[in-house]
Amino acid sequence: MLEFSNFMGFLLMRLGAKVQGERRVSDVRGRRQGWKRLRLGLAGVLFFVLALALMKEGAGGLAPLLRGHLDITNAADSMGFGWLMAYLVLSGSPVAVAAVALLSADALSSLQTFAMVAGSRLGAGLIVLLVGLIYILRGHERWTALTAGVLSLLLTGSIQLLALPIGFLILSRGWLDGISVPVVGALAAGINWGLDPLTAPLVAILPSWALFIVGIGLATLSFRFFDRALPQVRLEKTNFGQIPRLVYRPEVMFLMGLVVTLFTMSVSISVGILVPLSARGYMRRENIIPYILGANISTFVDTLVGAALLGDPRAVTVVATHMICAAVVSLPIIVFAYRPYERGVSRILAWVTRRRRNFALFMGVIFAIPLVLVLL
Amino acid sequence: MKILLCTNGSAHTVRALDLGTRIARAVASGVGILGVVEDHREDEVRRLVEAAAADLEGAGVPVATHWRTGRLAEAVVRQAQDTLYDMVIIGSRGRRGMVRLLLGSVALQVSEHVPASVLVVKGRPRDLKRFLICSSAGPTSERTVRFSGRLAQAMGASITLLHVMSQLPLIEDAVLDDLEASADELIQRGSREGTHLGGMLDMLVAEGGTARAVVRHGLVVDEVIAEAREGRYDLLVTGAHVTPGLNARLVDDLSADILLAADRPVLMVR
Repeated sequence: MLEFSNFMGFLLMRLGAKVQGERRVSDVRGRRQGWKRLRLGLAGVLFFVLALALMKEGAGGLAPLLRGHLDITNAADSMGFGWLMAYLVLSGSPVAVAAVALLSADALSSLQTFAMVAGSRLGAGLIVLLVGLIYILRGHERWTALTAGVLSLLLTGSIQLLALPIGFLILSRGWLDGISVPVVGALAAGINWGLDPLTAPLVAILPSWALFIVGIGLATLSFRFFDRALPQVRLEKTNFGQIPRLVYRPEVMFLMGLVVTLFTMSVSISVGILVPLSARGYMRRENIIPYILGANISTFVDTLVGAALLGDPRAVTVVATHMICAAVVSLPIIVFAYRPYERGVSRILAWVTRRRRNFALFMGVIFAIPLVLVLL
Repeated sequence: MKILLCTNGSAHTVRALDLGTRIARAVASGVGILGVVEDHREDEVRRLVEAAAADLEGAGVPVATHWRTGRLAEAVVRQAQDTLYDMVIIGSRGRRGMVRLLLGSVALQVSEHVPASVLVVKGRPRDLKRFLICSSAGPTSERTVRFSGRLAQAMGASITLLHVMSQLPLIEDAVLDDLEASADELIQRGSREGTHLGGMLDMLVAEGGTARAVVRHGLVVDEVIAEAREGRYDLLVTGAHVTPGLNARLVDDLSADILLAADRPVLMVR
């Protein structure tokens, strides 16, 4: 009996030591990951402010190119331009930041910037659609693979369609013109002074358009760094662990999408946080629709920070208008008309993904609209 | 099974009393009949309650009659809280839109506050010969299926077990097969939903009933209502899934949505 208890004691000690050892290894790994994320986050911040400075420097020289050669002179073609640019860089945020930089350099008006930022949001969903499309082209005959991308575009499109006239009204009447950012303006001046040794040589050797393109490239890179710097969010052990199975209240999912995207700044990253909750990689559409609606509001937060760092109150007003309009349109839908809205979106989604011909038509429309807008 | 029937003399509660009497004759071990006097129709309410009581006593079912004054919803809730019942049967006027928003739904108030299963009688009068049981493929569904299965057996009704998959793939390499599969395919494949449906069918058959499973893809409430209409079912059965506490604040009460959207009787099993 004594021998047995000794053996058990020894076994427990070994087990305890093993668990402690594993915990130490995992702590070390966690610390390393933490430092890596911090470095990536800091690099992201540096690249972001550098991108803003370069875009601001380059934007001034782009005004003749935009107005002359590209004929970007009104809100419609600015929207189409932003939309196509987002397709080109496969992301909305760098284009939205570029739009506010163009406003700051007087290359675009406030209304044009508002329209270009809206275009950037509409074009941002293409990446999700392309990934699904590549999957299908590789031989997987399942059109349901495209639903996340189509849904994202439909939701953004439906909200922007209603938000645009409200935003134009707010901006043309100047209802939000009182917004001022003196502290951030001073901070922006300080950052510009600090970055001068880095930007000055580039400004000296590169033409304006090249500075702007380098700025967009750096902004895109900075958003990648931010994405990788994000700490892992685990929802499995919270009350939201049942999201793939249960149907949550639309207002709960809306708030969740809004809050999560405040930190991730990207709708696709926010949706990606939900993926580990489901072993099979899917989610109830009743949950995902309000989640994306909420995310569509706070996804402007990176552009808002960019606008504030540019130190231009007009840029801040334009981005704030976008956030307010998205909220003004989304909230009544969530509170009063969620079921009909959800039903309408689901029907269009089902139609688009039902046949190859329908999907081709949808793709044609989402490329034709920005082209037509640019040519207007 | 102990059942509570209720009437305040209005047409929809009379329809509920009529259907409730037929159900009670088939399954009840005891029945309470509640007469609620809201206005000057006391004589009419008394006549209805006494006729229903005589009918059931004639069929050998023990009956207790109760009388309350005031609003129907509050009276039913108080009665169901004072005495333990397995099922409460009430009628629904079927208010819609702004009228429902302003005046509320008696059926909804009762189903939210009564600690028993609630059968809400809606639409035209009908015999309950075809049951559509909605299953969320979760642990609470078993009680819903078991309770309504016994009721269906006693009424000689056929059962269709419905599960709605409203899920969408979030990633391109999600398990897409399940999102397009029929009930038979899900059962054969042994997916989570298939295993649950297969288990529930086996349970119903073992208890002597006849049942089949159907899986639809789309929004839960819309697909349930569509299946009920297309299949011309006489009774829609859902579970009252939302548990009290934090989850009640987070989770949507789809049973309430189904109850409000349905144009035929709905049984909410608790």
